[in-house]
Amino acid sequence: MMNNRVVHIIGVGTMVVSLLIFGTFLLLFVNLNTWIHGWGHSLSMSVYLQDGIDKKTRDRIASSIRDFPSAEIKRYISKKDALIDLRKALGSEAGLLEGLSRNPLPASFEVGFTDVESPETGPRKIKQVIEKIDGVDEVKYSEEWLQRLEGLMNVVRLVGFIIGGLLSIGVLFIVTNTIKLTIYSRKHEIEIQKLVGATDWFVKAPFLLEGLIQGLFSGAFSLLMLYSCHLFLSAKKMHLLGLTVLDFIFLPTEYVISIFLISVTLGLAGSFIAVGRFLAAESYAEI
Amino acid sequence: MIRIYRLFRNFGPKVALNNLNFRVRKGEFVFVTGPSGAGKTTLLRLIFGAEKPTSGQILINGINLNRISRPKLDLLRRNVGFVFQDFKLLPKRTVFENVALALEVTGEPPSFIQKKTHQTLRLVGLADKEKAFPLQISGGEQQRVAIARAIVRDPLILLADEPTGNLDPELTKDIMVLFRSIHMRGTTVIVATHSRELLEDTAQRTIFLNRGRIVGEK
Repeated sequence: MMNNRVVHIIGVGTMVVSLLIFGTFLLLFVNLNTWIHGWGHSLSMSVYLQDGIDKKTRDRIASSIRDFPSAEIKRYISKKDALIDLRKALGSEAGLLEGLSRNPLPASFEVGFTDVESPETGPRKIKQVIEKIDGVDEVKYSEEWLQRLEGLMNVVRLVGFIIGGLLSIGVLFIVTNTIKLTIYSRKHEIEIQKLVGATDWFVKAPFLLEGLIQGLFSGAFSLLMLYSCHLFLSAKKMHLLGLTVLDFIFLPTEYVISIFLISVTLGLAGSFIAVGRFLAAESYAEI
Repeated sequence: MIRIYRLFRNFGPKVALNNLNFRVRKGEFVFVTGPSGAGKTTLLRLIFGAEKPTSGQILINGINLNRISRPKLDLLRRNVGFVFQDFKLLPKRTVFENVALALEVTGEPPSFIQKKTHQTLRLVGLADKEKAFPLQISGGEQQRVAIARAIVRDPLILLADEPTGNLDPELTKDIMVLFRSIHMRGTTVIVATHSRELLEDTAQRTIFLNRGRIVGEK
């Protein structure tokens, strides 16, 4: 009994550690994703209009931009406003503009994005479409910056899949082996149960229940510890290159439920594999 | 009840059972005897489905053990009681729990398990040892717990492997009386033994094995 308790504690402990590594990675992934999205939202595009277009053409261009669900027009900058902005930007050097016979600056729309990743509705596609509209002179945004952003997201996602996959296999392996330890500690009892006519399911049921409980406990413990770590980290302001910037968020509810379900599933699957293998190996070696 | 045709069992180059052919009728009491290594235990293990024959057939109530699925074998075992030479009791369970286990695995209701286990322990004379653990009782008592577990489900067949191997003559006599009373209730009993004393005064059918072959029958 005492041995079994130790084996169970070891089992839950190793599973908690594995899930904690998995959860920590997920937490970092979620936060990184949020931060990158935040930076993505600060990406803006300038749609420069040709001089002398009428209001109808301008409205048509605005409506074409609004057709993209991920794009929002933040501001319309008329030629006059553009000059005022430039004057402000030049400050004491604004006198340079006095010699201009006419305003050379074009009117423009400043466009922001809610989704910078989608190839269908992202800035690259919008640029391609908008540039073809009559009355649009030029569309500019930092393509290089966006490419880096996309590259970073792809790397994070790929690393996420690889680490997540490897950790899941690792957890399954650990659970299978810890349940195997429990099974071996009760080998004699199982053998006798089989000798007196117990069905495989009669033998399996308590181990599956143990796997389920192990999964439930491990899931709950690891989430609790992860939440404690999150509280500790978010209590301090995050600094990046000297700037106080980033909010450290906890996992969304669906991720929390997923970790819990993964934990329970791995507990059950581990037990099922371990006891199934044991019974198959023992089927004709009972006495 | 039990039919055995051209039964062979090899362990590597060693032939443990060599072309056995016999049948045991319903309600019969049969001794299987012979020196150590004659194949007595192997024969019982094969009848119990704990091993597969190298070749040949074993039919129990018309069911061929070669073709039986694992779940069906589990169900068949519920009608076959086995008394092991080394008892195979669970040391951390009481005498009562060891016997009740055979009923628990069949999913019997607790009230029935209680009643039937008490009844069987009375039959084998262990009513006062129900709460003891196997290591707290004598070898003869452990043997009787093993018999109680094998008969608690009223099996059609009772197999016993050297059931008196570790017992003194007085206890041996008691155990044989117990087997005869079980037999009287209609159970087919096969007892494997190398004990000559056990066979001296018996008029029961006896199969003699030597080096895996049947060398005589009484």
